[in-house]
Amino acid sequence: MFRGNLRKFFVAGISLFTLLGGVLSPMSQAAAPINLSIWTYGNVIDPVLIAQYKKLHPNITIVAKKSDLDGNAQALRYALPSSAVPDIAAVEISYMGEFRNYTQYLTDLSTLTPGAPSLASKYLSWRWNNMVADSGQVLGVPTDVGGLAVAYRVDLFKKAGLPTAPDAVSALWPTWEKFIETGKGYVAKQKGKAFIDIAQTIYTAVVNQGAQKYYDGSGNLVYDNNPNIQAAFNYTAAASQANLGTNVAQYSPDWNVGLNKGLYATVLAPAWMLQYIKQYAPKTTGLWNIATLPGNAGNQGGSALTIPTHAAHPQEAWDFIRWYTAPAQQKFEFINNLTFPTVTSLYTDPKVGDLKDPFFNNAPIGKIYSESVKSVQPFQLGKKDRLIDSTIGQALSRVQLGKQLPQAAWTQAMSDIRRAIN
Amino acid sequence: MAFRSSTVAPKNRGDRWGLLYVSPFFFIFGIFGLLPILFTVYVSFFHWDPLAGHNYIGLDNFRNLFTDPYFYRAVRNTFSIFLISFVPQTILALLLANFLANPHLKFKVFWRTILLVPWVTSILSVAIIFSELFGQNYGMVNVAMHYLGLSHIGIHDVNWVGQTIPSHIAISSMIIYRNLGYASLIYLASMLAIPRDLYESASLDGASKLQQFRYVTIPQLKNTLTFMLIVGTIGGLQTFLEPLTYGGVQGGDSRQFSTLALYLYEQIIINNKFGYAAAIGVAITILTVIISGVNFLVTRRISGGES
Repeated sequence: MFRGNLRKFFVAGISLFTLLGGVLSPMSQAAAPINLSIWTYGNVIDPVLIAQYKKLHPNITIVAKKSDLDGNAQALRYALPSSAVPDIAAVEISYMGEFRNYTQYLTDLSTLTPGAPSLASKYLSWRWNNMVADSGQVLGVPTDVGGLAVAYRVDLFKKAGLPTAPDAVSALWPTWEKFIETGKGYVAKQKGKAFIDIAQTIYTAVVNQGAQKYYDGSGNLVYDNNPNIQAAFNYTAAASQANLGTNVAQYSPDWNVGLNKGLYATVLAPAWMLQYIKQYAPKTTGLWNIATLPGNAGNQGGSALTIPTHAAHPQEAWDFIRWYTAPAQQKFEFINNLTFPTVTSLYTDPKVGDLKDPFFNNAPIGKIYSESVKSVQPFQLGKKDRLIDSTIGQALSRVQLGKQLPQAAWTQAMSDIRRAIN
Repeated sequence: MAFRSSTVAPKNRGDRWGLLYVSPFFFIFGIFGLLPILFTVYVSFFHWDPLAGHNYIGLDNFRNLFTDPYFYRAVRNTFSIFLISFVPQTILALLLANFLANPHLKFKVFWRTILLVPWVTSILSVAIIFSELFGQNYGMVNVAMHYLGLSHIGIHDVNWVGQTIPSHIAISSMIIYRNLGYASLIYLASMLAIPRDLYESASLDGASKLQQFRYVTIPQLKNTLTFMLIVGTIGGLQTFLEPLTYGGVQGGDSRQFSTLALYLYEQIIINNKFGYAAAIGVAITILTVIISGVNFLVTRRISGGES
């Protein structure tokens, strides 16, 4: 979820925890105290809920090791064949296309009691299917889903003479063309300010609105001829060339300061990002509101909890996962961390559907994000999703910095991807 | 003859005992040094993915390496960062050491301790702090340059991550910050070993402080400078954690600060290509051997020319 400079620190810490897991694993007996280890990242595992679980099950101690999105997946990938695995591992959506292939290294949750398929109907179906292998094994249970909406600064919109009410703002951009046009008008009036924090975030938003990403339904790579990818690239490049965004990296210290100082009029925000904005830009309380994404449907992020085959306590891990992803806990997490639930019955729950946050001018967060995630079209995830994402991201960054024109950047990205995956 | 053989025999026996005493080193070096190197060479002939298995592909990895533009870019970056860090570091360290070698200096121990403090900090914290300093919009370096009036000569809002030379300068500054004190102390130690009478006769001959530094101190430090150059180049070829923490595994959007070690790491951690990474490792080893050879020859030439 959050990529930052701290990541290597956590990668280095993994070996320590691996050791810990190895030492603790022989202690599994019925009544004996059990240590359940979890590898996670970002806000996937909430410490308050961990403490609650300890109260319900005094013999179980949860040892959560938190790193960042990429570090977590990379460490897990190479730990899976060994015995130095956690009992539970969180997998982020950009890595699900890879990890859903590891049927020999991740436990088929249908084989545990009660079997996973009995739970399937409770969850958002496309998120549930993200971690179902081609051969039908259920390898993970979804925790949260990102959704996607536009967080915007009411005060800055007012200064630029734009409407400020969410409905009117949403009506400004029914399409991405209109979004970019609005942005052009904004930067023309507000010299030196950015319309969007990072133009490159448009790419992910547009790509995830399609019915197909880098792979077709039978798992063949289509990244170089999928028109939706090309369109996403072109919208983003157009936004970059119109100077709608800044040159900094998302989550960098510089980006945080810009957020606090009101340098950006909009941020494309998955639900979990709202929490990030609250945390890193406390000075901007009440200055934000939330409008819908052009095209409405959207998603960025979300995770699942899995159990490695070599885990020491698969049944205890499964008991925890079922508890942790159950409606009550997902509701708690949404209210406290703004990670949006995948349990669909919660979308009509008044506590979720009507959740309003004064930080965001009491925008109906629950309603906006449930509509955003419900209209997402499921698409085939694939093994190299993350690699292709980041290679195209680099190309877009080159366009943003003016190092390359869009066409050259695209051509280079395609050859970089070919070289990397061969 | 009898006398001679009786002196040789115990010496030989001593050699054998000596070998036994040093054998733990060779044993441990064999397991943790030699074996991994040989295994790396072995892996470099395979397409090797620990999760998907491996198959022999002969020299394909090396063929790909020689046509890989990013490999050459990593070589370029590695040497560029080495030069931008090593040259200023050596000049600064010599000046600092010269200052500390001053016999009239007060609080000597205090200054020497202060110098070593950055050496104790972890590379990681240095890299995180420096990333903040070198931020484009709100970083302290850009703000300071603005107040120094550099914007009048066209230098403003430098993108210290996105552009090649600025990113090399930023990374080099981390390396200098961390290594400067250590290098100064090494130079200081050998400066203090220079006989005082050389300076006395130099000043009797009317040499200024600057001339003494140039014609007495520097030539006397030749061996130390050579040592620092060799250690520095080998360290430079391993530059890894600074660029990684500064801007991620790929070393920037056009790999503008991806070093050799970082490029190797990228092949493992992102591309799952252990064989290709091993080939890069072999290339780094060969480069190190070549550079050490050149260093050795140059040093021998210099010392041979003087004696």
